[in-house]
Amino acid sequence: MNALRLRAGLWLLLALGVLIAGATQFADGRVRLQTNLLALLPPTERNPLAEQAVTRLADAAGDRVVLLIGQRSPAAASAAARRFAHQLRQSGAFRQVVAEIPAFDPKQLTGLYLPQRFNLLSEEDRVALSSGQLDLAGRLQRKLYAPFHFGLTLAVADDPFGLADDWLASLPLKNLKLEPQDGLLVTRGDDQTWVFVSAELPGSAYDSKIQHQVVPAVAQAEKELHGADSEARVLRSGTVFYAAAARASAEREVDLIGAGSLIGMLALLYLVFRSLRPLALGLLSVGFGIAAAVVATVWVFGQMHLITLVFGASLIGEAIDYAVQYFAAHLGAGADWEAQAGLRRIAPGLTLALATSLFGYGALMLSPFPALTQIAWFALVGLLAAWLSVFLLLPALLARPNRRDPQSAVALPQRLLRWWQTHLTQRRCVALAALLLVLAAPGWLQLRGNDDIRLLVARPPALVAQEEQIRELTGMGNSSQFFLIEGRSAEALLANAEKLAGRLDALVAQGDLAGYQSLAAFVPSAQRQAQNRALWQQKVFADPAELRRLLADAGLRDEVADQLLASFDAAENSRLTLDDWLQAPLSTPYRHLWLGPNENGFAAVVLPQGVRDVARLGDATANLADVTLVDKAGSVSRLFRSYRQWGAGWLLAALALVYGLLCLRYGPRQGAVVLTPTLLAIALALGVLGYLKAPLTLFNMMGLMLVVGVGVNYAIFLREGGVRAAATLAGVLLSAATTLLSFGLLAFSSMPALAGFGLTLLIGVGIAVLLAPMVLSFAVQQSA
Amino acid sequence: MPLLKITIKLLLLATLAALTPLHAAEADTLARIGAQLEQHAVIRAEFTQHKQMAAMKRPLVTSGRLVFSRQHGVLWQIEQPLRISYVLGEERIVEIDADGVRRERGVRDVPGLAQVGRVFRAMLGANSTALREQFEATVHGDPAQWEIVLTPRNAQLAQFLTRLQLSGGRFVSDISIAEAGGDTTQISFRHTQGANALSEAELQHFGVAQKAGTR
Repeated sequence: MNALRLRAGLWLLLALGVLIAGATQFADGRVRLQTNLLALLPPTERNPLAEQAVTRLADAAGDRVVLLIGQRSPAAASAAARRFAHQLRQSGAFRQVVAEIPAFDPKQLTGLYLPQRFNLLSEEDRVALSSGQLDLAGRLQRKLYAPFHFGLTLAVADDPFGLADDWLASLPLKNLKLEPQDGLLVTRGDDQTWVFVSAELPGSAYDSKIQHQVVPAVAQAEKELHGADSEARVLRSGTVFYAAAARASAEREVDLIGAGSLIGMLALLYLVFRSLRPLALGLLSVGFGIAAAVVATVWVFGQMHLITLVFGASLIGEAIDYAVQYFAAHLGAGADWEAQAGLRRIAPGLTLALATSLFGYGALMLSPFPALTQIAWFALVGLLAAWLSVFLLLPALLARPNRRDPQSAVALPQRLLRWWQTHLTQRRCVALAALLLVLAAPGWLQLRGNDDIRLLVARPPALVAQEEQIRELTGMGNSSQFFLIEGRSAEALLANAEKLAGRLDALVAQGDLAGYQSLAAFVPSAQRQAQNRALWQQKVFADPAELRRLLADAGLRDEVADQLLASFDAAENSRLTLDDWLQAPLSTPYRHLWLGPNENGFAAVVLPQGVRDVARLGDATANLADVTLVDKAGSVSRLFRSYRQWGAGWLLAALALVYGLLCLRYGPRQGAVVLTPTLLAIALALGVLGYLKAPLTLFNMMGLMLVVGVGVNYAIFLREGGVRAAATLAGVLLSAATTLLSFGLLAFSSMPALAGFGLTLLIGVGIAVLLAPMVLSFAVQQSA
Repeated sequence: MPLLKITIKLLLLATLAALTPLHAAEADTLARIGAQLEQHAVIRAEFTQHKQMAAMKRPLVTSGRLVFSRQHGVLWQIEQPLRISYVLGEERIVEIDADGVRRERGVRDVPGLAQVGRVFRAMLGANSTALREQFEATVHGDPAQWEIVLTPRNAQLAQFLTRLQLSGGRFVSDISIAEAGGDTTQISFRHTQGANALSEAELQHFGVAQKAGTR
């Protein structure tokens, strides 16, 4: 009795420790829910700069909200957008709200490029000039007589042959379909005029405080707008909306799964034990397990990802199993109950069950995948703590024998057991197994893998539709690929970008690419500028007398020729530099392309647009040492695929390990018998997934791993139950029911990854528990 | 600035009813001028253009023919002092030199060109809203003899353009453009005639395939 009290005291101390640690973490504000998808993923790129660039680009895009305000009439659209922007500013939720744009000043463009025009040539002109003589007279005539010009042009006196005009026209300024109108940026489509409004978040899109501030502010502004103009429409896109939606749905699911499995579990416990004491004790044991898991997760990882939280809610059903076994033993013993002896009797089974679960989750721990590591760690700590509760706390609090008649309490399991024993002989078991395998086989053939990164995120269809519409209307790209360009100096970097540009131009010509954004399009390398100037010298300014005659014949004043020659000479040693460009207001919309200096030199990104075939992009980097194609979504998918394929190997390894453990206790033959229901469950689960046309993902493989860890427990408990088989079966059925309840609820999660995980467990564990009594067909006859 | 010139040149051909001015009388005049022009699917004219530029010793004089098609756009054929043609369609702009070599550009490839194209389409569709976004208009005279003055509404346009002036009777006869930089352009039209359809040769210029294979 004293030993029991000592143990309970120890448990209390532990519980107190967890409580204090949790309270401290909570007070520190460290119990933060992470909603960032990127935080879940392991580094996938060999080049650390590439990972950095991925994060930089994601942050640059993520810390912004893009809204389109639409109205049938352009004037009403402008008014609505201004009202909406004002409302957003008033809310104070944003760092900055931009609707009105400063009028585009062509002087910005000419101010930067006019003095440098003799260093610049469009690609087309450069090729034409290098390969032949230029028809200067013809070009001058065209410049003078054309009723209109293509785009922005310089004055005749500054650029009589239109070469600088061609350079200006070659600038990739027209990426978006947006146009200035009435001081705003607008686009048209769907019979509406849409006004572009963008807003900058005051912090990270994944910060819950920011989410709670921004999302209602936009909703409120929309409501006010509709009050003033019922026809106005609002389209939104931005990481913050997805992150907030993911958080909200995760919280909803935690509530649903947590409450659902808790209530279901308590109801089941009461039905079987008809006493409130097991309910309270079960809650204590599970509560301690989950609390310890949260504290340990925050302690190790610094925060908790929402995927862990949702998974954690479903762990309730598994953590209760140990306590349930204890209650079952208590019930089965009836008046003979003696806490120490009872515990001793079930201890090996419980410990073995814990060990198999730990192996299942331990295998996940080994993966270099932060999401899986965190889930596995959460489960390990949670299960260990729940198991510990059974040993430390329950004997002290469940010392008195059960008053309920054990026979009546386990009448149903008893009948089930009899049925199994009379109907399922060993031979029939083998036949049943063979039949099930034959039925499952066609399902296996229908299994299809899916390694999409979107498995990890639930994307609300309404938001996705709005984002697609915005993309359609504005022409904003959405490709997740980019090129990382490096160079020891800015000059080397530009030269590398030019080499890539040559290859990308070929892809554009072939229609494999719509276009691309590159610094090199705005600033040629110094080397290229020197080549350009040499071409100007040879093909335009070689003979000043001839040039004067040409201009005079066309009717231009003599001063024009004088000035042109003088400016050409004056510009001899000046070159346009990257710094000049970066400091010009013109570069503001393209600044994200420049990553700046690092320890090895400089880095920049080139963004491809309208990519038709990613493989062709990869080809474009061949033999370019300082150019890397970064395809984060592709890398993650490849990672998922290889994990999924390795997962099959892990599964076999885990099964082998579990078999080894079983052999230690039961010997090779009986070990195999205990493992068989689990093996069948895995085979059948795969078949059912095939029939359901559910894709086979990494997360299904994780689910199967747990089917091994959990499913084998039932066989162990039954095998251990021996003479009190009926009570044990009651316990097994009960714990299976709670597990199925919580994982079954998980199958309805909006996160495809968790839903797949839950579904696999639901099917696998369900089959494992149904087939577990097979163990008795083999064991009972032997022991009899 | 060049973009504006297109706009301006299109204006003369357009259904002027698209411009809805402030006064009812003016609106009425405009509507009637527009109705006059709207009768014709195709308008042909000869033009002479005088352009005065600071860089030039003497005004630049160009002459040639103009074809406007409601359906296909504008064909601007310079005959003197050199032969060169331009086609402005909804989707692309084509330059055709004396040897018949075509250089095409999509309007979306050039910033701002789509905007001009849309004003153009708006005028074709008698959509006054699009034009009133850009210009203030005042109208003098009656449908037999009228003058319209357009001034840019926003500062952006005003950077390049001070004033446009159109005048005419049954058809537009004169246009004058004053640029902010001091350069001026005068265009006058003669022998203007309405027609119902484009000729075969004109259709080819517009790049409209008559038979399979001709584009």
